[in-house]
Amino acid sequence: MTSIYETRVLNAVIFAPLFFAALVMFLPKNEKGQIRGVTLAGMLVNLATCVWAWTRFMPRSVDEFQLEYRLRWIDELGISYHIGVDGLAMTLVLLTGVLGPLVVLASWTFVDERVKEFHLALLVLQTAMLGAICSLDVLLFYVFFEAMLIPMYLLIGVWGSEERQMAATKFFLYTLVGSLLLLVALLAVYFLAAPAGQRSFDYATLYNGLMSLNREVAQCTAAGNCSAASAGAAALFRWGPLMFLAFSFAFAIKVPMFPVHTWLPDAHVQAPVAGSMILAGVMLKMGTFGFWRFAVPLFPVAARQYQVPISLLAVIGIVYGALMCLAQKDIKKLIAYSSVSHLGYCMLGMFAFTGEGATGSAYQMLNHGVSTGALFLLFGFLYERRHARLMADYGGIAKVMPVFTAFFLIVTFSSIAVPGTNGFVGEFLVLLGTFKSSLPVAFGVFAATGVVLGAAYMLWMVQKVFFGTVTHQENLGLKDLGLREVLAAVPLILLIAVMGLRPQPFLDLLNPSTDRYLARAQYASGKAEAASEDERVRVTVIQLPPKLVVAQAAPAELPTPRFLPVGRVVPAAAAALNPQTP
Amino acid sequence: MQRLVEFFQTAPVDPQQAGQMLWLIILLPLIGAFISGVFGKVLGRANTHLVAVGAVFGSFLLSLLVFWTINDYRAMAMTPFGGVNYAVGADYGTWFSAGSFKVTFGLFADHLSGSMLLVITGVGFLIHLYSTEYMSHDDGYWRFFAYLNLFVAAMLTLVLGDSLPLLFVGWEGVGMCSYLLIGFWYTDPAKAFAGRKAFITNRIGDFGFLVGSFLMVLALEAAVKLPADVSSKLGRPGLEGTSVLARLNDGMKQKGVLSVPVLEEGSKVFASLLDEKIPQGPLEGMTFGRVLMFALLLFLLGAAGKSAQIPLYVWLPDAMAGPTPVSALIHAATMVTSGIYLFCRISWLAVLSPEAMATIALIGASTALVAALIAFSQKGLKKVLAYSTVSQLGLMFLGIGAGAFWAAFLHVVTHAFFKACLFLGAGSVMHGNGDEEDITKLGNLRKEMPTTWATFLVATLAITGIFPLSGFFSKDAILHAAHTNSIPAIGWALKTAWILGVVTAGCTAFYMMRMYFVAFEYPRSPEAKTPHAHESSWHMTLPLVVLAVLSVVALVHGLPIMKPEGRTTIQTLMENFLDPVFRTTQDNLAKRQFVVIPPEEHVPWGAYLQAWLIALTGGGTAFFLYMRYFPSKKGQPLPGALELARKASWNKFWVDEGYTIAIIRPITLAARVLWRVVDSILIDGVAVRGTAWVTARTGAVLRYLQTGDAQAYAAIMAVGLAGALVWILQRYAL
Repeated sequence: MTSIYETRVLNAVIFAPLFFAALVMFLPKNEKGQIRGVTLAGMLVNLATCVWAWTRFMPRSVDEFQLEYRLRWIDELGISYHIGVDGLAMTLVLLTGVLGPLVVLASWTFVDERVKEFHLALLVLQTAMLGAICSLDVLLFYVFFEAMLIPMYLLIGVWGSEERQMAATKFFLYTLVGSLLLLVALLAVYFLAAPAGQRSFDYATLYNGLMSLNREVAQCTAAGNCSAASAGAAALFRWGPLMFLAFSFAFAIKVPMFPVHTWLPDAHVQAPVAGSMILAGVMLKMGTFGFWRFAVPLFPVAARQYQVPISLLAVIGIVYGALMCLAQKDIKKLIAYSSVSHLGYCMLGMFAFTGEGATGSAYQMLNHGVSTGALFLLFGFLYERRHARLMADYGGIAKVMPVFTAFFLIVTFSSIAVPGTNGFVGEFLVLLGTFKSSLPVAFGVFAATGVVLGAAYMLWMVQKVFFGTVTHQENLGLKDLGLREVLAAVPLILLIAVMGLRPQPFLDLLNPSTDRYLARAQYASGKAEAASEDERVRVTVIQLPPKLVVAQAAPAELPTPRFLPVGRVVPAAAAALNPQTP
Repeated sequence: MQRLVEFFQTAPVDPQQAGQMLWLIILLPLIGAFISGVFGKVLGRANTHLVAVGAVFGSFLLSLLVFWTINDYRAMAMTPFGGVNYAVGADYGTWFSAGSFKVTFGLFADHLSGSMLLVITGVGFLIHLYSTEYMSHDDGYWRFFAYLNLFVAAMLTLVLGDSLPLLFVGWEGVGMCSYLLIGFWYTDPAKAFAGRKAFITNRIGDFGFLVGSFLMVLALEAAVKLPADVSSKLGRPGLEGTSVLARLNDGMKQKGVLSVPVLEEGSKVFASLLDEKIPQGPLEGMTFGRVLMFALLLFLLGAAGKSAQIPLYVWLPDAMAGPTPVSALIHAATMVTSGIYLFCRISWLAVLSPEAMATIALIGASTALVAALIAFSQKGLKKVLAYSTVSQLGLMFLGIGAGAFWAAFLHVVTHAFFKACLFLGAGSVMHGNGDEEDITKLGNLRKEMPTTWATFLVATLAITGIFPLSGFFSKDAILHAAHTNSIPAIGWALKTAWILGVVTAGCTAFYMMRMYFVAFEYPRSPEAKTPHAHESSWHMTLPLVVLAVLSVVALVHGLPIMKPEGRTTIQTLMENFLDPVFRTTQDNLAKRQFVVIPPEEHVPWGAYLQAWLIALTGGGTAFFLYMRYFPSKKGQPLPGALELARKASWNKFWVDEGYTIAIIRPITLAARVLWRVVDSILIDGVAVRGTAWVTARTGAVLRYLQTGDAQAYAAIMAVGLAGALVWILQRYAL
């Protein structure tokens, strides 16, 4: 049976950073060492809770979501505090947990102004990210999803480089536009998925509620005539594609996919090393995670309809991002554009709708977090020494900083997916999945050119920065990495090797999620028998806990009938939309 | 004699155990690399040498043990389709699996990879030993030995891996080490650039390798899904068609689609399916033969990258920027032969596509000739050797294309010996002459460096193809095969390739002897950096002597002395030795007859004589020109046509420049234009800032509606009310 620890461990995962943030609050402003120490301790505790959760997670279990915890929150609207993780979320939780302490170590000396606020922002951001990954209530997800923006906005806007204000604003507005569309689409799904009175923002309710409608839409679309569909299906047939696009747009900005990627280079260039690491390491994954968890499963018919255009954008992103890298002079911008290219692989694999592609895509999310996180971390060390970002400002660094160079080279090889490093496994699976999918073979071929271009831009940058003779006097006196910096870099280097040589434990976590994702993406496409398919894809979660006595007593004091906004907004339409409504 | 043969054909250890310890062969140099790389600086020079050289030597001993074991007929590697004789193997579990795809950590040594093991660790050991002296003045010794050990580990993975993905680990691993070692002296931008060029050119090949592998996955998965009416054709004695496919499917699940046994079994299936259309899936409508052809051509692109063939050969000559032992080990003996190894490994697939075989032969032969022509005028000792390597690799590909896989592989082995000897000799020359490598600035080395001279001469004669050195037999075997074999579907291909090959053989003799005469026989050049050269120490000369001896002794493999029981044909030792490796290949050849190989019944004395005459002619011409003609015309310009030819050859036919103009510049230009126009102006400017601008303007206009001026509000309200009144009146009253 599940112990009390298992039901609460995710709470610890999410709120440990917040707890330490509270501690930091009480520290005096000028005790910078203490603030850093407590934050580091908080991140380490958080990592420990993440690892703990991981040991409690059973990849082979039949339960999709594990370590669930659910509390009543706003019953009137069907919102509950509901958290839980599946395999993909578990790995992302681990990734976030690992990056946490490293981020603190990376900015140990880099940030020396407003130290307290900085670390508060880091801790709050950690909670928001973990919360978003673990949420099983869509509104809770949305709250965390938006909550991430604020600390990140501050990180870029306050501790960034020269043009930080512009970059922070651009980042914020760009993402907000997407988020608002997401909110609208979310509300529409909320009303569509269940009849009045049973509505809930819970993932299970939304998904299961749309299942029969999705099947009906799939069948009538296949038959070519949807005029006779039930009201709910007709609404989904009509508005489903738009809702899918709204979801997609929001998440595509976050990923970021071509052509809504232009906030990323600016944000990365201006962000402090901590901001870049978190942004690349975890926040971009919220986009791909959103596609995986929400956009595709909720609207399988529309997702299949838009498979080719979205995959095309992903392929363009891969090649285009790589070409952008070749045109850059600024190292951080180059790494940022390389993210566009790498995330293109994630999207392509996900929209190949094959087992290899989807697992590869999920693995590539982790890889990108590790490799690009490490690239930003390492470049941050160099930047801290020289405060210069252009390749032309460097050259011959290998002679001056050999250890640093060795680390950077290893990470570079991981980034260009040399076999034996983590990058290879993900990229190989994504490409294989693309070839095996129903997409044209040309998609796979063009995506594979990224292999060549990736090597071209990364090694070009490495040569400019590290090889040759030292051309600038200032660079002669650069110190090699210190102990703290080595400690910050080594975990990522180890992960690169471990994830490259023993990927199977991670893939075992991901594969069950992949199976479900695929079954949901292929839902009602006629490839599986209806009843058993329904059984496979249906989301099962724990029920709401019984109302507390106090909570039960409370409604009696309220005037009845209760004022329910939902009932008022769409009284007739909602009833008509839902065939189940008597 | 019989006892001796029996002794060597009896495994010294249990073959099962020998298979289980294959991973140690890779692990040893890997540990060596780790220790040298991380602790080398602390350990000091001598300790690092001990670790690095010891690791490779340990690997060599283990390889010997494995090699001995696989000569025992009882040595058997288990595959899902039964045991493979004369081989050992082990599977250490899954590397990664997702969807229906799976790769295992499976290692496998048969006669082919076993021979490669010996070459890699044996020559590798000698070169490590040599490097301890050669790098004795370099501060980066620990880095050097770490990379070198890592390279050996990667190369061993390449030959031992029993699946294409695992082979690819070694494949890219050696490319990575090559990148690091070419750019070893990274403070020189040109050297760092050469490393990068090598890696990226290799990556283009790797792109081909990857896509080719994916096509194989698609083809195999399509094959096992074939409907019953097609699969009934696949029956074999004792096996129904459907159960052939079921077995293949089981094998795919057990070992992974891209594992060598599955591909081999797949090739047997494909042999009966070539004209069959794929009924469904991504390749719908294509015939299996067509898919196979594309896959093989993509593998050829991969091999062309690694083994420096047209169009990707340009990186190898530049790779000479690395330390000379690196050139000897990586860019002559081992890494660059991995393309040939790959095609020997998948020979059963290669023979199923006549188009691919013809292309391989033609690409190989043309590369051989072009590289030989460029080598004519080069002055750098290592440059000439580099082009000669490209040229010899081309000949090996010619052998592959002609269906003489064993001959190509024999040339791999002999070439490893004499070319490593030549490179190490060149290194010894440079070491003793103040790093001078321009042959016109050396001279009189015969007297100054006797050991280097003697070994260099032996190796030169070997590569030239002088009877009875090993190079003679291996090269002749290739050319002979190209002459007698034929690809009926494309009859002209092998004929052309053979002519190109013969011309190349003559050219080889010419440029090699030219180099030898100018560097060793000419009087000491006044421009030499040191008035006298010094002979190198035993660390360097011992490997030279061993390799020179090997380049003679290896001739044994080329002797046509084997008579298989029950057949009238004769075989060379190597052909006989590799027979178990190429059994499926022969079956597939017999089935489809895409390459016709007439049986050899007599020792080909005529071919030997011909090859010998060609080598003598080439060498003799060089002797005449460089020892008689040019010295007598000293100071006079060359005749016009000759000067033009020399210029073209000296400038390498401007291929690099052509690539720069045709490929590199357009891509960088496109990148800049895309960035400036699409990214900065269109997306960020028009779309993003445009949205912001429209929003701001709209706000600016609407702002006037909210002036806070009560009179204006009242006026607008009055107008609005009046309007509403008029409208209502119009609508209802009138």
